[in-house]
Amino acid sequence: MIGVVPALNACEGEHLRGFTFLGAKGPGEDLFVSFHDLRLSAQRRAAHYAAAGLRRGDRVALVVPEGEHFIPAFLGALWGGLIPVPLYPPVSLGKLDAFMEALVGILNIARPRVLVTTERVGKVLWSAVGRIASIEKVITTEELAKHAGSFPAAADVRDDEIAFLQFTSGSTALPKGVMVTHGSLVANCRAIVREGLEADGAKDKAVSWLPLYHDMGLIGFVIAPVCYRISVVFIPTMSFIKNATLWMETIHKHRATLSFAPNFAYALVTKRAKPEQIARWDLSQMRVFGCGAEPINPGTMRAFLQAMAPAGLKPEALLPCYGMAEATLAISFVPLDEPLQTDRIDAERYHADHEAAPVSNGSAFLEVVSCGRTFVGHEVTVQDDDGRILPERHIGGICFRGPSLTAGYWENPEATQAAFRGGWLHTGDLGYKVGDRVFVSGRIKDILIVNGRNYHPQGIEWLVNEIPGVRKGSSVVFTRPGAASEEIVVAAEARADDAAALVSEEFQLAVSDVALVPPGTLPKTSSGKLQRRKTREQYLNGSIGRTSRLGSTRLAVAKHLALSLVGRARHEVRKLLGG
Amino acid sequence: MGESIDVVEMFKQAAFEVDNRRLPDLKPQTVITTLGMDSVAIMELVAWFEEKLGVRIPDEQLSKIRTVKDLRDTIARLLPDRQFAA
Repeated sequence: MIGVVPALNACEGEHLRGFTFLGAKGPGEDLFVSFHDLRLSAQRRAAHYAAAGLRRGDRVALVVPEGEHFIPAFLGALWGGLIPVPLYPPVSLGKLDAFMEALVGILNIARPRVLVTTERVGKVLWSAVGRIASIEKVITTEELAKHAGSFPAAADVRDDEIAFLQFTSGSTALPKGVMVTHGSLVANCRAIVREGLEADGAKDKAVSWLPLYHDMGLIGFVIAPVCYRISVVFIPTMSFIKNATLWMETIHKHRATLSFAPNFAYALVTKRAKPEQIARWDLSQMRVFGCGAEPINPGTMRAFLQAMAPAGLKPEALLPCYGMAEATLAISFVPLDEPLQTDRIDAERYHADHEAAPVSNGSAFLEVVSCGRTFVGHEVTVQDDDGRILPERHIGGICFRGPSLTAGYWENPEATQAAFRGGWLHTGDLGYKVGDRVFVSGRIKDILIVNGRNYHPQGIEWLVNEIPGVRKGSSVVFTRPGAASEEIVVAAEARADDAAALVSEEFQLAVSDVALVPPGTLPKTSSGKLQRRKTREQYLNGSIGRTSRLGSTRLAVAKHLALSLVGRARHEVRKLLGG
Repeated sequence: MGESIDVVEMFKQAAFEVDNRRLPDLKPQTVITTLGMDSVAIMELVAWFEEKLGVRIPDEQLSKIRTVKDLRDTIARLLPDRQFAA
């Protein structure tokens, strides 16, 4: 078991395996970089960093959208013992101001000496760069690719040294940089590749469209594959977003065996794949379709398996997993060859007694996906508020410890102490164990307590998302102080007149207010996740839902609705007329 | 070089094909993120334009596109030989 830098150094002579970048040489023209060449290009970047005066421990911010440019720049920084800070590029439509604000916030905390970007992105970033006192120099990936002097030797990094900073997509006001160490990387990559996937670079091939500035894409599909020399085909994230079926198409074409994605991607590809495409694909060789990084909806998983069954996809290929940046990446994996397993628990006892009792006939139930078991040398427990370990099927905070634990948050001892106490990482997730299996049922911070009962907003939000007229994935449920107890508020983008009635019926839970907001206005994190706490703050301080804009917003929504009904009516009439 | 390109009309067509969404009131100054399409649908719409017109909008230019007119201007810069409706 060796570190990522020695592993990269050992890639000399590996000409057959490596990374393929879809379309990197032009439309339809892929770029293959062997691990041998990847090592050389990392060394070249390290030489440029050294020539720029960067020393061990200096931070290098990376805002580089293209994988073929990002990966050598990132590995080159590791090679030199620098601390790369991967950051997301400005690629979502019309969000430049919010992007700049978030970028400046992170850069002021990470204090990099150098910012690496591409010539094209650099033109967008220059105004932010001027606001960061620590940045001495902007280096483009084009410059990094040029001839460099003699290559420096690989830095002899210790296990407890920081490998890179992984900024988490929490609140943009107070971003936190997880300190991933060389030691935690080694431990987690070994756990994922050897134990979780039983992967073999001679047989396996991975496909990923995941962004490289997030842990799942960066560790799962760059660092772990370099350590174990597993070939990977990279689809540009934007190409996947524009055409989700490219994911399956690439797996089919490359006879890939491994891929991972969050829940939403499985929903998207299920929606977009046409029967004639599925009929053409062969997915029978796929060993692992990992699903993690956001709550796993069993309905989405079953729909995906059903849709892809004609392509020969084996149900046991689906592999739910659980993890987070604070644990480097992975905490638990469902064992290979185990099909999707869910636990149906009594909803009443869950909310009232905080127990996960198997449901008896006819009672209302919650369905929770098994996220498998943790790895050798690691431990998962469920603890109460006082740190006592709870017996199985009792709901509490999920805690994790072992060699994959990161060193906490960069220059943030308060947040570090809050999350890493008593030798355990307190994940902030709620769940329970059955035997060695981990079940994740919600977030502690987001829990709704109404009349002494606990509810998880996720389940209610999934329900609200099913209401016609609500934008999928654009509802947030939270509480406001009420006369006797907390009261439930639903904030949703677009029309949601029926939300109150539906939630009341399904959860026997009164909804006190439904705040309709214009599309695209609910606060989101850098990765596009809705921010429940921030939404609640905005609601409580009156900036959404209850301002004088409410009237005009409702009017606009009503008008929009009327117009779409007119459109629909016309459509129906045309259908009747056969035209 | 062919007939002029009406990005507003094309946008309406794209929104219908990609997201089953009718936008009769769409104007050049409409801010795209207020149309009720989620970010994935918006990117699918961008892809629709790219395919129809045979252009590739560089990713980093997307963040500057707020309105339909911004989209039209961006595409017009990429297709200097074509005529665009006002």
